[in-house]
Amino acid sequence: MKALILVGGFGTRLRPLTLSVPKPLVDFANKPMILHQIEALRDVGVTEVVLAINYQPEVMLNFLKDFEAKLGIKITCSQETEPLGTAGPLALARDKLIDGSGEPFFVLNSDVISEYPFDELIKFHKSHGGEATIMVTKVDEPSKYGVVVMEEETGKVDRFVEKPKIFVGNKINAGIYLLNPSVLDRIELRPTSIEKEVFPQIAADKELFAMVLPGFWMDVGQPKDYITGLRLYLNSLRKRSPSKLASGAHIVGNVLVHETAVIGEGCLIGPDVAIGPGCVVESGVRLSRCTVMRGARVKKHSCISSSIIGWHSTVGQWARVENMTILGEDVHVCDEIYSNGGVVLPHKEIKSSILKPEIVM
Amino acid sequence: MGSSDERVVAVIMVGGPTKGTRFRPLSLNVPKPLFPLAGQPMVHHPISACRRIPNLAQIYLIGFYEEREFALYVSSISNELRVPVRYLREEKPRGSAGGLYSFRDYILEDNPSHIFLLNCDVCCSFPLAEMLDAHKIYGGMGTVLVIKVSAESAHQFGELVADPITKELLHYTEKPETFVSELINCGVYVFTPAIFAAIQDVFMQRRGKAELRRVTSFEALQSATKSIPADYVRLDQDILSPLAGKKELYTYETLDFWEQIKTPGMSLKCSALYLHQFRYTSTHLLASGNDTKRASITGDVYIHPSAKVHPTAKIGPNVSISANARIGAGARLISCIILDDVEILENAVVIHAIVGWKSSIGKWSRVQGGGDYNAKLGVTILGESVAVEDEVVVINSIVLPNKTLNGSVQEEIIL
Repeated sequence: MKALILVGGFGTRLRPLTLSVPKPLVDFANKPMILHQIEALRDVGVTEVVLAINYQPEVMLNFLKDFEAKLGIKITCSQETEPLGTAGPLALARDKLIDGSGEPFFVLNSDVISEYPFDELIKFHKSHGGEATIMVTKVDEPSKYGVVVMEEETGKVDRFVEKPKIFVGNKINAGIYLLNPSVLDRIELRPTSIEKEVFPQIAADKELFAMVLPGFWMDVGQPKDYITGLRLYLNSLRKRSPSKLASGAHIVGNVLVHETAVIGEGCLIGPDVAIGPGCVVESGVRLSRCTVMRGARVKKHSCISSSIIGWHSTVGQWARVENMTILGEDVHVCDEIYSNGGVVLPHKEIKSSILKPEIVM
Repeated sequence: MGSSDERVVAVIMVGGPTKGTRFRPLSLNVPKPLFPLAGQPMVHHPISACRRIPNLAQIYLIGFYEEREFALYVSSISNELRVPVRYLREEKPRGSAGGLYSFRDYILEDNPSHIFLLNCDVCCSFPLAEMLDAHKIYGGMGTVLVIKVSAESAHQFGELVADPITKELLHYTEKPETFVSELINCGVYVFTPAIFAAIQDVFMQRRGKAELRRVTSFEALQSATKSIPADYVRLDQDILSPLAGKKELYTYETLDFWEQIKTPGMSLKCSALYLHQFRYTSTHLLASGNDTKRASITGDVYIHPSAKVHPTAKIGPNVSISANARIGAGARLISCIILDDVEILENAVVIHAIVGWKSSIGKWSRVQGGGDYNAKLGVTILGESVAVEDEVVVINSIVLPNKTLNGSVQEEIIL
């Protein structure tokens, strides 16, 4: 089976992290975001993944070389020369997705984190025999999104309503699709929106079905949602493979610690924390609801909450970092500094406190 | 007049990528030395000033950027100005004197009688030939270009005291807390090759001190954590300060303009200074608005030959328009730098701003800064490929590359 992951563009909402690497390679729960999806696809029998990209292809291609061998799955790139929207890239990658076997192929939005229940999706798709299946997720505030109106028992999709003003349903497009090759005949090679142009057509032909995504769902394309997403992910990990989470007297709630990370004495870590490869957390540190990325060092007695600490950064002794502080790559927060929501671009030193949310270039 | 034996080598320090984060967001896309002021890369201005030095043999650019970032520029400027320019990459930070010393073999290759050292991010008239003449009369090891500034602002720079008659450098101190003098260091120097011996002396003295310190292990520990590496020699603190008052160093005062180009806001100010200077040195570079078939021009304006400006647009003062930019009908540009491939649509207004490469400014939109070159958000800066939609207002803001603004913004940084 094949899959296409819509990687798209510049990832500007995840800056400053995406000033250092393209978005799919930003780490989430200690591994590049896109790896979560690629591994889940491989586990369900996908043999080739096509990445539809239009930004920094050289960086992506290098990454792929490293991982192709380790993962045991073929990874290729389909490069857009102009942004093709959410459906155009499928037309561009047509030759890679159709192999004559008639098998359906997956399409994923790269920002989406979930449990990826691809087995159930395949079963459902085969059972209804329709041309396309999309996964939907229930949300509290549907009018922020595009709502999928469907028949509850069969899952047959009636229509899409973009940002509805009155309540029409509470299920939105989760960005995970399983499509028959015939869908490609409906897509022209030009900037096209899959929700606005392609799916409504398929729904009108009564060939589009929706399945409610079991488990959690999050679009982690921006820092606030990234942090919430980590909580949901670790929660799910607790249920599926609790042994992967850290345990001990210094651990509270769900905490993921990479095996090469080092944690000192007298720390209190958690809940909802991920500590990446090669990180050093010195003694007396308090971490909660935060991500510490590869190679970062958190010095003694400091306190970090609801923040993201970028690769190879340091947080000084007695520093307090909180309220959606995002440190880019190689940022050094000096001792005793307070950062309240500072968003700091790479290669900076923070020598004075940031009292209210501010971007530091 | 110099004899044919007196060759001069010029060295321009261009810095490196992780230094000077103050030049963001423009430095996210281009090395600061290559950012255009008055239509020419920043480093072009000191390079063309060096050309006016009699018997100039070679220009070296020294910095931390990768060679490939400067390869194209260096070969084209060597051809264009008919002077050999070469980029040398520093492997590790050694201070400005240490860096100069580490390349002494290249610099001394031409057997120069004098060596100029300039900082790339200095904006001034570079009176190098006059400075060299003065230096020869003084007969010292080095001469520093100096300028008088206001007493309030002097503390941001290196302050020096000079003998009013002999012009000897009597005292030098870097960024002092209390007032020392209104005379400051412009970052332009000329030396005889004896400078290398002076730098080497600093190494020797350091080594001597280190050996003494090894006597007590406690002291060795202290110095190891606090001191800078032995081969890091700063020109100001380690050479100028100690040698002041010893009849080795002299000063040459410039009465023209002088600024440091540390931030994007300052680059707009310095672009205006250079544009104004073109009136005296290169009038052919300035656009004139005498032709009724062409756009109306007021003040100092540079327009690249490949740029297209609609005849009903009004441009200036202090505007620089780079290659392949397109300025639409009825547009008004005041005090701005428009970079390559920018498209400005009809009736748009741009004031006190820098518009990044390939950006587009919509119809009737207004992109404006307050004009305070020193304020963090005093000049509006649009990074590469920013799209401002029709009728949108952008005031005192900084927008990082690849963003689309479909609603007005004020006093914001948009990542």
